[in-house]
Amino acid sequence: MTEEPYRWLEAVGNRREYVREQLKGGSPVLGASLPDGILLLGIGGGQSKVFELFDRHALAGLGHPADIEKIRQAAIDAAHMESFTRAPEDVSLRRLIGFGLSPQLKTNFEQIFSAPFLVELLLAEIGSSQEHDLFSRLHFDGSFQNQHGGIAVAASDADAESAATTWLTEANVPAKPRGQAAEFLLQAWWCLSANKSFAALPPEEERRNGWREAVRGKTVEIGWLARTTPRLARYQTLTLANLDL
Amino acid sequence: MSQRALIAGDFLSLLDEHKLPPFRHELSGAAPVQTQATTVFAFHFADGILMAGDRRATAGNVIVTDRVDKVIEIDATSLLAIAGVPATAFEMARVLQTSFEYYRRSQLQALSLPAKVRALARLLRDNLPMTMQGIGVVVPLFAGLDHSTSPASPRVYFYDPLGAQFQAVGYAASGSGSGTIRSILSFQEQHGKPRPSQMNLSQAVQFALRLLMTASEFDSATGGVNPATETFATLKVLKSTGVETISEEQQKQFLKS
Repeated sequence: MTEEPYRWLEAVGNRREYVREQLKGGSPVLGASLPDGILLLGIGGGQSKVFELFDRHALAGLGHPADIEKIRQAAIDAAHMESFTRAPEDVSLRRLIGFGLSPQLKTNFEQIFSAPFLVELLLAEIGSSQEHDLFSRLHFDGSFQNQHGGIAVAASDADAESAATTWLTEANVPAKPRGQAAEFLLQAWWCLSANKSFAALPPEEERRNGWREAVRGKTVEIGWLARTTPRLARYQTLTLANLDL
Repeated sequence: MSQRALIAGDFLSLLDEHKLPPFRHELSGAAPVQTQATTVFAFHFADGILMAGDRRATAGNVIVTDRVDKVIEIDATSLLAIAGVPATAFEMARVLQTSFEYYRRSQLQALSLPAKVRALARLLRDNLPMTMQGIGVVVPLFAGLDHSTSPASPRVYFYDPLGAQFQAVGYAASGSGSGTIRSILSFQEQHGKPRPSQMNLSQAVQFALRLLMTASEFDSATGGVNPATETFATLKVLKSTGVETISEEQQKQFLKS
């Protein structure tokens, strides 16, 4: 009996390794809080990476499409129930993650006889200003980090994710117009996908050509949460042409 | 409300699962004084559909307020004009707003126009016990975009209190002042120069405001339009590109022009 806890710890450790192995090679997703709104970007094979959740909320993720779908649906259900029983203004990302998605993911991850969720997620909530924008980086085991404004990246490799975030932040992307910011996010996406080191990046020309070549035959999914619109629903889907790219 | 099976993208199923039906049908021993009475209407003009409503709510012979918005944007391509008991009508609007957006977001496609039209019919049927008691009757108008044509065509529907839906060819009106409105619209449709369907936006807004002014002359439960007291209507336009609101400032300008 005394060895049971150790077996459980070992099983959870193995599970963590398994999930990380499965997520390797997943196409990263990126977000930037800009003066006029929040830009979310992912490159996939269709409508599979970036989604609207609610009036002021959106989700981007990598991982198994079926698992992203389950979490997306759970978030949409919870947000709409909250909106209907209280008010749209009461739907908050902090509560959605902290009291809804995170506990569910943690419970699922620790139930070692059921399949774990193969996901890494980035959720966004548009605020009245960049300082009030909220990103939540939600991991497959239910752990999460919230941050106001700035840059947020979800990738399968934590070090590369951190390096990309630092590079985009140092490039002052949150102060740039939407089209320029998207160009930077696409370059960062290419560097992450092609395993380029952010410490010794290729020249800008190569980065620009790199992402254009890499997205050929794929779908560039761009979600935009507008800071001010006449409507409650702030989310819209953009194309590269909308951004002059 | 009977228990529904969970249907993908159906918000009412989700409410049922959480035991939160939007309309509860407990019978009332004594009917309360109802807040109601209205004039709402919609007609086709050159750019799409104009939907208008006065802003008065009454309870018996008491004017409750002159600041009610009876034309409600349900989503980016749908409008609802409510006539009848506001408590029920606003709840129906809220159910529709949440249902349409829930479907669009969860199923990654917008609900079709026939499904939207039937969703409102279903709510009216669910409200039948309140309608039969005479304390919850709602007779709305609905406008939406038909995406089976290119570009998308705006359409107007009217309902009876039991939920039967009818597509309006040129115009539709509801509420206590609708008789006056229908007479004028019918006349204008047959003899007007221009006919409503030929009017540009400026002409259509002027026409709509004058219709409400006339309706308020004959129906005390219809709030009028009076630029001197800054009393205007709720006006929304549905074009093939979606919903636009005609603000009070725009109404003032159109009336002057």
